[in-house]
Amino acid sequence: MKRMLMKFSRELTLAAVVLLGLGSLPVSAAQALTCSVTPDNIPITFTYHGAVLSITGQSASTDDLIVTITSEPADTALKFKEKVGGLVWMKKGTLEFKDAPRIYLLQSTAELSRILGAAERNQNLLGYEALRGRIRIEDSAGNQADGKWFDEYLKFKKQEKVYDIQEGAVVRQHGVEGNTYMVDVAWPYQAPPGVYTVDVLAARDGKIVDRASTHFEVKSVGMTAFLSKMAFDQAGLYGIMAVIIALVAGLAVGAIFKKGGGSH
Amino acid sequence: MYMYLPIALTSVNYLVVMGLGLGVGLLSGLFGVGGGFLMTPLLMMIGIPPTIAAATDANQIVAASASGTISHWRLGNVDFKMGFYLLIGGFAGGATGVQVIKILRATGGADFMIKMTYVIMLGLVGSFMFVESLNAMRKTKKVPTAAAPAAAAKVKKGGFFTALPLQIYFEKSGVTHSALVPLFLGTFVGVLAAIMGVGGGFLMVPVMIYMLRMPMHVVVGTSLFQILFTCIEVTYLQAYSNHTVDFMLALLLLVGSVFGAQIGTVLGRKLHGDQLKILLSLIVLAVTVKIILELVLEPSILLSYAGGH
Repeated sequence: MKRMLMKFSRELTLAAVVLLGLGSLPVSAAQALTCSVTPDNIPITFTYHGAVLSITGQSASTDDLIVTITSEPADTALKFKEKVGGLVWMKKGTLEFKDAPRIYLLQSTAELSRILGAAERNQNLLGYEALRGRIRIEDSAGNQADGKWFDEYLKFKKQEKVYDIQEGAVVRQHGVEGNTYMVDVAWPYQAPPGVYTVDVLAARDGKIVDRASTHFEVKSVGMTAFLSKMAFDQAGLYGIMAVIIALVAGLAVGAIFKKGGGSH
Repeated sequence: MYMYLPIALTSVNYLVVMGLGLGVGLLSGLFGVGGGFLMTPLLMMIGIPPTIAAATDANQIVAASASGTISHWRLGNVDFKMGFYLLIGGFAGGATGVQVIKILRATGGADFMIKMTYVIMLGLVGSFMFVESLNAMRKTKKVPTAAAPAAAAKVKKGGFFTALPLQIYFEKSGVTHSALVPLFLGTFVGVLAAIMGVGGGFLMVPVMIYMLRMPMHVVVGTSLFQILFTCIEVTYLQAYSNHTVDFMLALLLLVGSVFGAQIGTVLGRKLHGDQLKILLSLIVLAVTVKIILELVLEPSILLSYAGGH
């Protein structure tokens, strides 16, 4: 009887500990934020016309999610046009956009301004206003340029399809595998080869509470890689090849027309 | 339908690119122009970076002008002697023009100078050719056709330049000029072509017609011969120094342009010289109007990559 009472007491204590432990665990710990991207390697061949990236993972059910795809910040020089003499629009000089990512794609479960406050968005470089605060714009003399040029830069990048924000594009699913999320992103062919970073941020009560990240690579392969390498490493040979093939093509078609159309 | 271009780092619809090649090649075979003044902006419109559009265009013109030159040579329409003198002048002028641009860029006035040269030269050439060929077409209607062979048989004289030394008879064109004249005119066109960043065919053709007094059909063949060598030089230099020649883009363009050049040559034989001139002048004037509108109207985006026109 005593042994039975002791066993019952141990089981009761264990059950209490388990119940107490579960109750005190944070939700995010119950389901850690994960992130994976498919494909994680995009080969650039002659038929390449961009790709569709599928970003998936697990997250706590109550958190909002923000998914970003970015590259390392770099400096970009662009020509700017202004009206000259009150009549004609001319390229007047060069502006340097410093610390600007070459690509900036953002998807979220809801409107960014509803998920996070301005300070949190700026700190984590989320949204165009955060980029406005980060990117420095200088003229060729090193002077800070007018803020209107950021708006022009944004227009330029959006037209190239390398800057884009899709609020509400991240979809949540609740199933046997737990709470999962997914978003499909149209990867623009205009983005140059390189290694890109996917960041997933979980937000709760206006704060970032968890993050996960992964990488993928866009790389020239086969003949595209060969031609690209040759154009830079053996530029003289590449130039001669380009001239000879153009000449041969021109002369060959001339010969074909002679055979096929003797009347002219 | 799409092909990725390894140097331009973009993907294009290859049917559209081959179509562009065909259209510009047709103009090349018809009028003896390389078509760079049309092709470069068209390539930029489909998303090719400006520096790559200009350099690759030169590469495809090699094919189109080789194709056009060989067909015109078969028809007896190439004055190699005249082409040689113009070519020497063109090379010298090109080198001078590049130095002029360097100085202008240093002083910050290059872009304004380029645009203005473009508008003025295209506007002058287009208007002059249009009026002149219109008048010629009106006269042809009035003059009895029997007078034409007699006029053609008359050996043409060099006009203003007859007093200069080193007079040479150019059999194919039926004109006599001092060797200095094509050398000087070749240099003049070379300077302007280098400043404007184009091959110069649309300038060379009027120079041959109105200043060298060559017959229109010989002008087309000889201009293509000269453009062929200019574009070989430009392609090699751009590939070697700037790495801006996209071979795959050139290949797509030249597939269209070599056939276009052949069709243009055949069409050209069916048209009268004045009809050819008036068509070319209309194209030149249309391009002039487009450039003027670009200058005056506010662009939708005020930023662009470096290079181009």
